Amino acid sequence: MSTVRDDHGLRLAWGWVAHLRAGGTTPWLAWRETGAPGEPPVRAAAHALPGAQQLELLRVLNQRGTPGPVLAGRVLEASAPGRGRPDLELVGLGEPSGFGLPPVDPASLPRTELLRIATSLLADDIVAAGVPDERRRFRRPWRRRYRIVGDPWVAAAVRDDLARRGRPEGDHPAGVTLVLGGDVATMLADVWVTRACSDGVEEWEDFVQAFRRRRHLPPRADLLGQARWWAERIGAERVRVVLDPAQLPRLTGLRRKPAAPPRLSADAAELCRRLVPVLGVLALPHQRAELLRRQVAPRLAALDPVDRGGGRPLGVPERFWPWLERMAVRQRDGLLGDGYAVHGDPGLLLPPPAGTLLGTVPSIDGVFELALRLLIEGPARGGSRGRSGQ
Amino acid sequence: MKRVLLHVGTPKTGTSYLQDVLFKNRDLLVEHGIHYPADRFDDHFLAALDLMRMPWGGLEHEAIGRWDALAERVRAILDEPTPEGAEPRDTTVIISHEILATASRSQAGRALASLGHGAGTEIHLILSVRDLVRQIPAEWQENIKHRSSLKYERFLALIQDPERDSRIGSWFWGVQEIPDILYRWGADLPPEHIHLVTVPPSGSPRELLWDRFSEAFGLDGVNLEREGERANPSLGVPETYLIRKINKTAVDVVAPADYRPLVRELLAHRTLSQRTDSPRLALPPLVHDWVHELEISYVEEIKARGYHVIGDLADLIGTPAGEYTDPDNPDFALVTRAALDAIRALLVENAHLQQDRERLQRELRETQEALERSYLRPTYRAREKIVRKLDDSETGHKVMEVYRRARGRSS
Repeated sequence: MSTVRDDHGLRLAWGWVAHLRAGGTTPWLAWRETGAPGEPPVRAAAHALPGAQQLELLRVLNQRGTPGPVLAGRVLEASAPGRGRPDLELVGLGEPSGFGLPPVDPASLPRTELLRIATSLLADDIVAAGVPDERRRFRRPWRRRYRIVGDPWVAAAVRDDLARRGRPEGDHPAGVTLVLGGDVATMLADVWVTRACSDGVEEWEDFVQAFRRRRHLPPRADLLGQARWWAERIGAERVRVVLDPAQLPRLTGLRRKPAAPPRLSADAAELCRRLVPVLGVLALPHQRAELLRRQVAPRLAALDPVDRGGGRPLGVPERFWPWLERMAVRQRDGLLGDGYAVHGDPGLLLPPPAGTLLGTVPSIDGVFELALRLLIEGPARGGSRGRSGQ
Repeated sequence: MKRVLLHVGTPKTGTSYLQDVLFKNRDLLVEHGIHYPADRFDDHFLAALDLMRMPWGGLEHEAIGRWDALAERVRAILDEPTPEGAEPRDTTVIISHEILATASRSQAGRALASLGHGAGTEIHLILSVRDLVRQIPAEWQENIKHRSSLKYERFLALIQDPERDSRIGSWFWGVQEIPDILYRWGADLPPEHIHLVTVPPSGSPRELLWDRFSEAFGLDGVNLEREGERANPSLGVPETYLIRKINKTAVDVVAPADYRPLVRELLAHRTLSQRTDSPRLALPPLVHDWVHELEISYVEEIKARGYHVIGDLADLIGTPAGEYTDPDNPDFALVTRAALDAIRALLVENAHLQQDRERLQRELRETQEALERSYLRPTYRAREKIVRKLDDSETGHKVMEVYRRARGRSS
């Protein structure tokens, strides 16, 4: 906090606010040298000045595109959610009082500070847009009976698609359980992405490290464990391990392959993870998961597609590869040894061969840029079921 | 006059006690023109979480929309017209939660506006405050009772970091730096509408703090029920060490919803806080001077700003304990004794749960038997056999589905 005695500095600050509202991109320190003063509001001119984080976020948004007056106003009125540093004051407004954090040059703020504000604004947009409506076809009475488990990110997408096509999964005494999976590295990433899009999870590398320390895979990436669990309950002859998605039509009685899940880049997945705590105060847990998986993830997948020219998928850092390979071999040998029906080459469980697109870990700059693009793009359209309780 | 008394902190200043008395007496208070709008004890806490968009161990989803709902309720109380023929009377609404202390300027501004500030409502800000000599160890202990396994030494280092960019540092100063809290909340209020209630030094009469609260909230003359008040009891050095070690071992496997009743309530509050003979947490001598300077600077700033003080500003200059016991390296004989008390409490609790489970199992068995007796008719058993057989094959299952649809029932 600063005790504002420098009236000219304060007027310059309000001039900068007006400049940013009008789409300006001049940094604060440059504005102090050459910018025009503005008219402060009558009451509490210093106290009402937006925080340095909000002002800098608006300046960066203006650099990236045209946020427009409504978004600009929202940015300036926003607060950083949750725990963390409070609204900071601009350097050069007067003598700091010695209490609170010292005033800052907004351009020197770390991206994480701006990202906190951005996630709060995005969370409002996401909740306002709601979960996308989707048309479900009538239930086919002649449908095959199955239950879908395995890689949670893939399984959720397949379940949704089958339900859309009138063939929802369900309990049935004569049905089979399809355990979906792929290479162990991708399944590990998919478990993390699923949690990053539902109830939250630690950072990617901490997550991998924790499981390596425990010397096992997360239960939902452990195909062998899942196959055994189901075999005990329904009999091994009714368990099918599906490693090749091309075999799904035959197993589910469909002509076309079920839709694949949106593939998120490492940065997109991390952005979802950072949205979870803010959305937790705006939506009930199951709504939050639906919003992230069905509204936000497809938008992010389109905005930052995972391909050679675009975003890179989440990748297990190289130091974990030997551990992961051991886990993959154990899975493959166990599945073959137990005699389950495996659809697809068991070698698919092993980490992808050299030459495939290498994964990466999230970068804060990449996450921030994605957040800016989403903000400028504005809320998704055509949803329903917005803020809880409404 | 329409008045809101907004009590925004600070933690560890008897706030739970105050809130409990206000909550339990809310009907009585209305007769005196004082409203404490809450349907459950933690209503204002949830509203504060919502205002600050603060996750809180999974509780946050209960906070959705709570601040706006509270503010609307406050405005409705204040705008209630005086019944025809009745004397117009003053209406006071109290809002109280200590985590509001950490709200940012923009959140505080939004809160004040939503309560009618600048639109005819007189807002009074109340801040109860205690010296840092007691607040620093108390805040660390509160962290430990909220699943942290942070050593005291590390905690002290984090709060001394001038960047305050750690979770611990930003929170601690957010709720404890008195001049900054008052600036964030009170810059747009006249100083005479800002009231500081100082917590008396240790050893003062128990009633003294209540008397000060009573004066600040205008409760003098109201015959309040004050039995069974909520307290937030403190732990000694070996007990805090034990909880820290339990956190380190068990926090990964005990969900927040289970941690609260088992560790925080059963072990910390109901068991280990009873051990009052063990060494108390205190400030290490190395930081005495730093803390003393801070306290002096707070007092000078408060005096300069001219706020209304209930109590004595000298209360904010703490007196460090004569003897210091390092809570990172306690006497292990005392820790063992505390651990035995904890095990005994867990055994007793487990025995109660086991008895409950057996009773419930017995009741369930009796219910099942009663149900079976009603199904003993031979025709029912024959039909059941046919249905089970059909359900076991895919074709049979489809036949049953057609039959069920025709009957219009699912079973």
